[in-house]
Amino acid sequence: MKCEKCGKKEATVKYYENINGEKRELHLCSNCANSIGITDFGSVFSPLFLSIPDYLFEKEKIYCDTCGYKFDDYANTGFLGCPDCYDTFSDKLDDILYKLHGKTRHIKLLDKNNKVNTNRGYRENNKNSNRKLTKEEEIKKLKQEIQDLIKQEKYEQAAVVRDKIKKLENKKD
Amino acid sequence: MWYEDISNDSDVVISTRLRYARNIAGYKFPHMMNNNEQAKIIKLIENVKLKDNYKLFKMKDIDVDTENSLMEKHLISKEFVGNDDGAIIASDKYDILCMINEEDHLRIQSFESGFNPDKAYNNLVEFTNMLEKNIDFAKNDKYGYLTACPTNVGSGFRVSFMLHLPALAKIKMLNKLFNQITNIGLSVRGFYGENTKGDGYIYQISNQKTLGISDKEIINNVTAVVKTLIEQERKAREILKKNNLYLEDEVYRAYGTLKYSRVINEEEALKLLSRVRLGVSTSIIKEVDLKKIQNLMINIKPYTLKLILKQDIENDEDKVRADYIRKELK
Ligand SMILES: [Zn+2]
Ligand SMILES: [Zn+2]
Repeated sequence: MKCEKCGKKEATVKYYENINGEKRELHLCSNCANSIGITDFGSVFSPLFLSIPDYLFEKEKIYCDTCGYKFDDYANTGFLGCPDCYDTFSDKLDDILYKLHGKTRHIKLLDKNNKVNTNRGYRENNKNSNRKLTKEEEIKKLKQEIQDLIKQEKYEQAAVVRDKIKKLENKKD
Repeated sequence: MWYEDISNDSDVVISTRLRYARNIAGYKFPHMMNNNEQAKIIKLIENVKLKDNYKLFKMKDIDVDTENSLMEKHLISKEFVGNDDGAIIASDKYDILCMINEEDHLRIQSFESGFNPDKAYNNLVEFTNMLEKNIDFAKNDKYGYLTACPTNVGSGFRVSFMLHLPALAKIKMLNKLFNQITNIGLSVRGFYGENTKGDGYIYQISNQKTLGISDKEIINNVTAVVKTLIEQERKAREILKKNNLYLEDEVYRAYGTLKYSRVINEEEALKLLSRVRLGVSTSIIKEVDLKKIQNLMINIKPYTLKLILKQDIENDEDKVRADYIRKELK
């Protein structure tokens, strides 16, 4: 749901107002919460209130800075616009590449003198579709889960998932 | 020209084609470029000092008949015909043919007659290294070589063989084999006549996956399948030869029609030549050799025929074709 103050950003925190003994629930975005002087989320909000990491609210990158290509264009043409598009749209490409190639990464390239062994370097084990996800893939999946939960206003569950991510991020490989 | 000769396993394998898709770092892909930007790409490549046996031709300087004839020989893509912002680099024998400003900045192709993946690969790498010493290709650690279409990213490498499989088709084994081939991630395409798919029994087998896999693995995967198909096709031919009379009848009827017809369209000619090819490679027909049939299969295509005869054939193409074939088979 949208923030009840600005009506623009997604609400990420619930704020309980107590006016003349009447309890009122307010859904705010972090900006608006800040603007009404609530900076210490932890003390003001109930434990379920989330300090959801910023990365969740970064606007999804739609254009490639180098060539101006939109990811939607790919659906229409089957082409990317320039080599940099691979970085720009990397998140979305991984699914597509997995479908096309069964892999999402290349092996180490030969150098110009062909001195690097082609069979060394990074390779994923994709022998079966139940393969274990890497830490990065796991985190990516959980982040998506949080997004979905927030859209459904399931903040409590989102908090649980957030803690999972934290744990994963602190875990060494 | 490489395609005029016959070579290893030519009884079954018509040709070997290997190609790299490459792009120049710091530039948008061709479909995003205007004429001037595409001209810049050609300029960059023109500036590379190539060995003397390679020549660069701008597409705008090539006449449309020649372009179409190159397409008929599968040396350039259908989409590339009429692309005046493009160019090609060709070796003397056309066994290296590089398209500039096709789907990618560079589509480097290496061809050999018959089954010759090793030689084709050496030539491809040699030519590509010559370019890469002077030009930075778009690539990164994560995705390898970056291509306009993600289907080619990684190695940018495609290995294809053109096969003649009439006997497997006749004993109705092809569907089963092709299912197995597509199941292991290779692709199969019927050739000659979009509507009469496979009527000439010519098929192209190639890899589809290019990411996370080395050139060597790709070559091994495709050649393993092709070697099996060669063996199976030869076995199937032996089986058919046991019913020699019917096979003999079919290939000689085809031969007779080609030898005596007065009007023949491309489709019928290819269908009959395919049967004669089977007859010749099983030594049933001895009056004509495989090389002649291989060349006829190319030369009877309209633009190539027009260029050979140096005359307009639009109004009486089928008559001219029949005359040409009769003369060649005399
Ligand atoms: Zn707000
Ligand atoms: Zn781009």
